[in-house]
Amino acid sequence: MDFFPLYLTVKVSLVSTVITVAVGCAVSLALARKVFPGKGVLDALVMQPLVIPPTVLGYYLLVAFGRSTGFGRFLGDTLGIELVFTWKGAVVAAVISSLPLFIQPARAAFEGVGADVENAARLLGRTEWQVLRTITFPLAWRGLLAGAVMSFARATGEFGATLMVAGNIPGRTQTLPIAIYDAVQSGDAQSANVLVAIITVFSFAVIYITGRFVRGGR
Amino acid sequence: MLELSLKKAFDGFSIDVGLSLGPELLVLFGPSGAGKSLLMKLVSGILRPDEGSVSIDSRVIFDSASGVDLPMRQRRIGFVFQDYALFSHMTVRDNIAYGAHGLSAPEARESVAVLVTLMRLGGLEARYPHELSGGQRQRVALARTLAARPRILLLDEPFSALDYQVREKLRADLLAIHELFPITTILVTHDLEEAFMLGTRVAVINNGRLEQVGGREDVFYRPATRNVARFIGMRNIFNGVVDGVDGGTIIMHNPDIGIVTAFAPPDARVRPGARVSFCIRPEEVIVVRPDRALGHMAMENVVEGVITSALAKGSTHILFLRVGASETLLKVEVPNFVRRKLALASGAATRVLLKKESIWVIP
Repeated sequence: MDFFPLYLTVKVSLVSTVITVAVGCAVSLALARKVFPGKGVLDALVMQPLVIPPTVLGYYLLVAFGRSTGFGRFLGDTLGIELVFTWKGAVVAAVISSLPLFIQPARAAFEGVGADVENAARLLGRTEWQVLRTITFPLAWRGLLAGAVMSFARATGEFGATLMVAGNIPGRTQTLPIAIYDAVQSGDAQSANVLVAIITVFSFAVIYITGRFVRGGR
Repeated sequence: MLELSLKKAFDGFSIDVGLSLGPELLVLFGPSGAGKSLLMKLVSGILRPDEGSVSIDSRVIFDSASGVDLPMRQRRIGFVFQDYALFSHMTVRDNIAYGAHGLSAPEARESVAVLVTLMRLGGLEARYPHELSGGQRQRVALARTLAARPRILLLDEPFSALDYQVREKLRADLLAIHELFPITTILVTHDLEEAFMLGTRVAVINNGRLEQVGGREDVFYRPATRNVARFIGMRNIFNGVVDGVDGGTIIMHNPDIGIVTAFAPPDARVRPGARVSFCIRPEEVIVVRPDRALGHMAMENVVEGVITSALAKGSTHILFLRVGASETLLKVEVPNFVRRKLALASGAATRVLLKKESIWVIP
């Protein structure tokens, strides 16, 4: 029994959740607070992964990061970041597909804080960063946590886009969902059952515990 | 001291206001949608004016000409929001202390303690906003604002969400606090009674423009425009054409009411033929007893009419008197005993007197 896929999935999901939360907070704050040209386009764009088939998404990423584009060559040759057929590629696939799941609750949470409360803090002499730290985030944290958990869960289950970008290299890029698919294909029912059981228990526990935490905080 | 002159245009609405305040409490009074809250947002920096300038104690905080636009945090403006905008994740103590930042810890504690006592919040320091009554929340909001030692105070309909009794108490509190901290204050309200009670000076705003700025007595008894007369509860507002001006007396006529004599408004030039408005408060209209001959004192401004309806209003009655050929109604407020004695009921022909000194003429 090879537990590398479990290890890789946890690693990819953790890293991708950190990136998703950071990028997602910036995007959802902008969507909730600012009026700027192209806002509608940005909104539609970050929501695309909800409706686009993961394989299509993966194909876009494969083409964008591959050696056939200037951007891909710039990433590889200048920055030394190889995304195609590496675990980092799996992270990018997970980030892109889980972003909308973070942005939706985060945006609603930021909108729920209300402009008056933030303006009150500004008028009491606080800088933008202080307002975010002492008012906006503390008031929005439930929504942000809910979004982060959903993103994490989405990242652990990511299959299509990951397969396209990172491939299925045992011991290098084979994540849990891909290993399950592999096990079923090769008739290894025992491995499939164990991995399915792990991911089921894990997913249920994460959602259940967070749900209690988010609701029962007050 | 606050000097402001601001303009901003939106789709279908524009505001253009200039005001100058000393260390006083000015009431900004007007109907909803007049631009009251909008003006507060423009002064505080929540919204950016198209052009104009704002200065507090001679310090320019906004000036479109020279490009000055201080961020909200540097303006030193105390703002109490209509719904208080308390920080729901902080206790009463932390809310107030949030305003007291920049002080050393012992100074901040001292400042919070003083404000807690002043605002009668003792014992509530560890509560959260959702555990407070409306009046308590309002006091926390004011305490938090005062903790930041603002140069001016903007109060946006601070009492509108409260019960009548609570409101009365808090208005008295506010006046006491203003005596204690004589900070330049603008209080926004659409409540006539509140405006009268709190404003030593009153600015009347309508449709984004100031209609009149003056002392309480001026605005309430000598409205400068027909709109102001309407907002302050003048009910009998009629059109008149000037027939002549003789010294301080003006003679006008209205097709339904007839010839009306009144005192001319001070420093207004009205010429014969000019169109004016004149008004009289319902409680100042005098009903003349039909069995008495009119003395020469009462020869002016006698109006005949028929009562179309009578409404009980506590200790008085409101009578609507149809005068003249058209549908012009004169509203008359009489004490109940007068109505009984003179049998003033619907359908009764009635003679009233509009005393010269009770009529206010608007050029």
